[in-house]
Amino acid sequence: MSSDAMTIRAAGAAGRPWVEAVQDWITTVDHKRLGILYILYALLFLLIGGLEAIVIRIQLMRPHNDFVSPQVFNRMFTMHGTTMIFFVIMPVMFGFANYLVPLMIGARDMAFPRLNAFSFWLTAFGGLLLYFSFLGGSGLYGAGNAPDVGWWAYAPLTSRAFSPGHSADYWTIAVLVSGFGSIGTATNIIATILSMRCPGMTLSRMPLMAWMTLVMSGLVLISISPLSAAQIMLLVDRYLGGHFFDTQAGGSATLWMHFFWIFGHPEVYILVIPAFAFASEIIPVFSRKPIFGYPVMVAATVSIGFISMSVWAHHMFTIGMSAASNTFFVLTTMAIAVPTGIKIFNWLGTMWGGKIQFKTPMLFSIAFLFQFLIAGLTGVMLGTAPFNWQLSGSYFVVAHFHYVIVGAILFCIFGAIYYWYPKITGRMLNERLGKLHFWLFVVGFHLTFDPMHIPGVLGMPRRIYTYEPGRGWDSWNVIVSVGAFIQGIATLLFLANLVLSYFKGRKAGSDPWDAWTLEWSVSSPPPVYNFAVIPAVRSRRPLWDQKHPEDPDSRYE
Amino acid sequence: MSTELSAENLERGTRNPTRMELPAPTAWPIVLGFGFTLLFAGLLTNVSVSVLGLVLSLAGCVGWFREVLPEEHEEVVDIEPEEASIATERQRVERIHVDEAIVRAWLPLETYPISAGVKGGWAGSVAMAVLACIYGLLKTGSIWYPINLLAAGIYTQSLNLEPAQLNAFHAGPFLAALVLHGLVSTLVGLLYGAMLPMFPRRPILLGGLIAPVLWSGLLYSILGLLNPVLGSHINWFWFMASQIGFGVVAGLVVVRQARVPTRENLPFAVRAGIEAPGMMRRKESGEKRP
Amino acid sequence: MSAITTPIAQTPGTWSLPYRSKVGMACLIIAESAIFTIFVVAYLYYAGKSMTGPTPREVLETPIFYTICLLSSSLTIHFASRLLERGSRGAFLGFWFLTILLGGLFLFGTGREWHRLIYGHGLTISTNLFGTTYYSLVGLHAFHVTVGLILLSAVFLFGLAGRVGREQSARVEVLSMYWHFVDGVWIVVFTVVYILGR
Repeated sequence: MSSDAMTIRAAGAAGRPWVEAVQDWITTVDHKRLGILYILYALLFLLIGGLEAIVIRIQLMRPHNDFVSPQVFNRMFTMHGTTMIFFVIMPVMFGFANYLVPLMIGARDMAFPRLNAFSFWLTAFGGLLLYFSFLGGSGLYGAGNAPDVGWWAYAPLTSRAFSPGHSADYWTIAVLVSGFGSIGTATNIIATILSMRCPGMTLSRMPLMAWMTLVMSGLVLISISPLSAAQIMLLVDRYLGGHFFDTQAGGSATLWMHFFWIFGHPEVYILVIPAFAFASEIIPVFSRKPIFGYPVMVAATVSIGFISMSVWAHHMFTIGMSAASNTFFVLTTMAIAVPTGIKIFNWLGTMWGGKIQFKTPMLFSIAFLFQFLIAGLTGVMLGTAPFNWQLSGSYFVVAHFHYVIVGAILFCIFGAIYYWYPKITGRMLNERLGKLHFWLFVVGFHLTFDPMHIPGVLGMPRRIYTYEPGRGWDSWNVIVSVGAFIQGIATLLFLANLVLSYFKGRKAGSDPWDAWTLEWSVSSPPPVYNFAVIPAVRSRRPLWDQKHPEDPDSRYE
Repeated sequence: MSTELSAENLERGTRNPTRMELPAPTAWPIVLGFGFTLLFAGLLTNVSVSVLGLVLSLAGCVGWFREVLPEEHEEVVDIEPEEASIATERQRVERIHVDEAIVRAWLPLETYPISAGVKGGWAGSVAMAVLACIYGLLKTGSIWYPINLLAAGIYTQSLNLEPAQLNAFHAGPFLAALVLHGLVSTLVGLLYGAMLPMFPRRPILLGGLIAPVLWSGLLYSILGLLNPVLGSHINWFWFMASQIGFGVVAGLVVVRQARVPTRENLPFAVRAGIEAPGMMRRKESGEKRP
Repeated sequence: MSAITTPIAQTPGTWSLPYRSKVGMACLIIAESAIFTIFVVAYLYYAGKSMTGPTPREVLETPIFYTICLLSSSLTIHFASRLLERGSRGAFLGFWFLTILLGGLFLFGTGREWHRLIYGHGLTISTNLFGTTYYSLVGLHAFHVTVGLILLSAVFLFGLAGRVGREQSARVEVLSMYWHFVDGVWIVVFTVVYILGR
């Protein structure tokens, strides 16, 4: 490896053998390149997972449809869920954390650069292994191919009797392997934030993105590991004849549910806290005001982290827990709405009185605010045990969590990509295409997920293969499917924008948004070493201090 | 333990470095990652895959180890001289002025002692009882009539009383009505004592008229459930009159009591009972808030 | 190039941050604790729910001696890393070897118990719920001990070759954090399996 093969800009330059470029990317330990790899990898899987969603929607578009077989349908929703959670949103969040956190806290790299590469490759190979199941799953045993047990893989379904062959094992092992990668990255991020900050960057001056990523990584440590533990138990059951989840031998299927949701609910916050982080960076810049209530934002994030560890069983009200447990989990679920509400008010407070610029990143963030509020409200509805008994396992639940994952998280991810793309590539994304993407996606989103609540209330169960006509679900499903197609088109438009702007986009310069965090102080794309001279900061907005030396923030902190 | 950052800043803070040492690219993490994945993938396919994975993992571990020990492999990168100026076109800074008149709601500085609420409640209860008994005298010529009706809310025996018996004295219902009336009056009085300071304007209007009208409306809709006997005999005009009588008297009595300062605005140490000089912040002249 | 070259406000040298490897190891320990917690919860949840024998009361014997071995190895590794910090390499190697020896003894004890359970009592991982949970929990711990022993042995070999000096003491300290964690977990596992679980 020669040292001249290292500079980023040389990677894409013409005239160099592509093998060398590929080798550069494969052997890289640079946090920025690994961040880009994470994001690209996630976008690839976003396409695949989106395609699976489209298949599901075509199948459900009209009653008695047989676009795919029931077996394929089961594989589709299992793979869609698993892919979107583990191989799209988590990698994209880790990608942004990787790319941005060292830049934001004034460090030259992550704490453990090689561990960083190792973690990424584990996640990547985990995803490949999962999709290898389509080819390899049936080849050797002739029974089933891709996993079809649902993304939460409830217990009796995963036993040998109901899942012969290796389809369930593909789910277990792929997610287990990528889980180890997640734990590695989370460790890395925490060590980076605690040990690599530049002089003056005290914890109370860190950008909110760094704070929220810190909390998210802490949650990864304590909630991915229970999933890994439960998956190891499942492997013991399937390979060594153990009885953890074998009800015939006294094992408990409920215990798997508990273990899964002890992971599963904090996971929601692992996904949404980075989305909060993006919004907390974007909204102040485009409102031209500092974030409102910085310490309260930090406190709310940390308390969300803590409370999220004690709400898991609100996914399990219908299994028949004791009245005391039901009450406890209802109350904790309600409690978590408080810090979340505080955050929404703080974002609104940031926008209040500001000179708001409606650029694409800001549009996505504003849509996020509204949609996240609605998602939170249906969440409070579902967190009420009696209401949950009525609607658990219906399309109302599906609509609710897609409102969170698409309406809040994916919107923030889009916003983040529009916001930081100039930093990563050195070119602006096309604003007109961006606005088109935004409006198309908003329309598609609301067309899909607003009406989806109604068939849920009318009793349409989730994961249903097809349905009888005349139950009042027919037209709603048509609307939902049409909305899904519009979202698909908008996403393709977005990908086209990414590619086109990479070659034709306007040059960005180092600071296109007139922002205030350290990543905008270096050129775009940043040099491999990030900072030629490690900066020293004196306030939460170091670039503001530089731009307004007569009136620096440090005077007020 | 301090990092190299402080040392570096001390050393290079003034001069610009031209070269930089960064971790060298290495393939061992991907080898280890691939090996690790294959180790597991062998469970899904064939044991030979696991063996290959084991070999790759071991190779990856050793390679990685040699990468960082005894010395971390680093490569030297030239620093490109480039000037990214940090400036903004938006030089003018505006500050949002918050109107002085917009202030946060505060807890009342002074409130009535608990005894004021109790006194008010009891005084109101007397006024209410007098009005109710006048109603009884006017309607049936007996002061026991309203008492028996009230007792029916908690005392099941009263439910069985014939219409004629409602005018006579019964010891049980009388005691029940007395307890109920006293308890509810005391509690409502306490509520008055707590609420009135928070509505500094027209406490008598609020406590004497509006509040009784509101809860009379509430009772109007649910009385059939609470007390069916009273519900079937009630005269809403007199009922309202006695409620308002209670409200006005209780309100008047409460307002006439001396106020005491609230403790919510005091520092925690003072509220915890610690006495020491200098704990209270001296009020600036003209400051309305503690 | 960054233009933020404002001189540091504080007096130089006061900007100190935690050692990153220590933070990393602490994170790993947190994650591992979560994994062990789940296994412990499963053990307790299934205690006494086996539908067939053998039960823990019938077959388990409390491994007092091997427990003392493992716990005292925590002490020896502590002395070893202290000695390395002070620069006495010979004494460090001695205590380090003692640690490996004690850890190895513990592992031998676990092996002997498993041998007795499997061949003496016919208890395997698939016999009943007790077997499943017992072998998973104790096995998970034994796996961690094994990994720890491999790392300790590697350090020992390098130490024999004269490569481990005072400048490595921070790294050695990180490794000893891991070993303390493994010992701490054993206290929990011991309590759960040999005291509460019977």
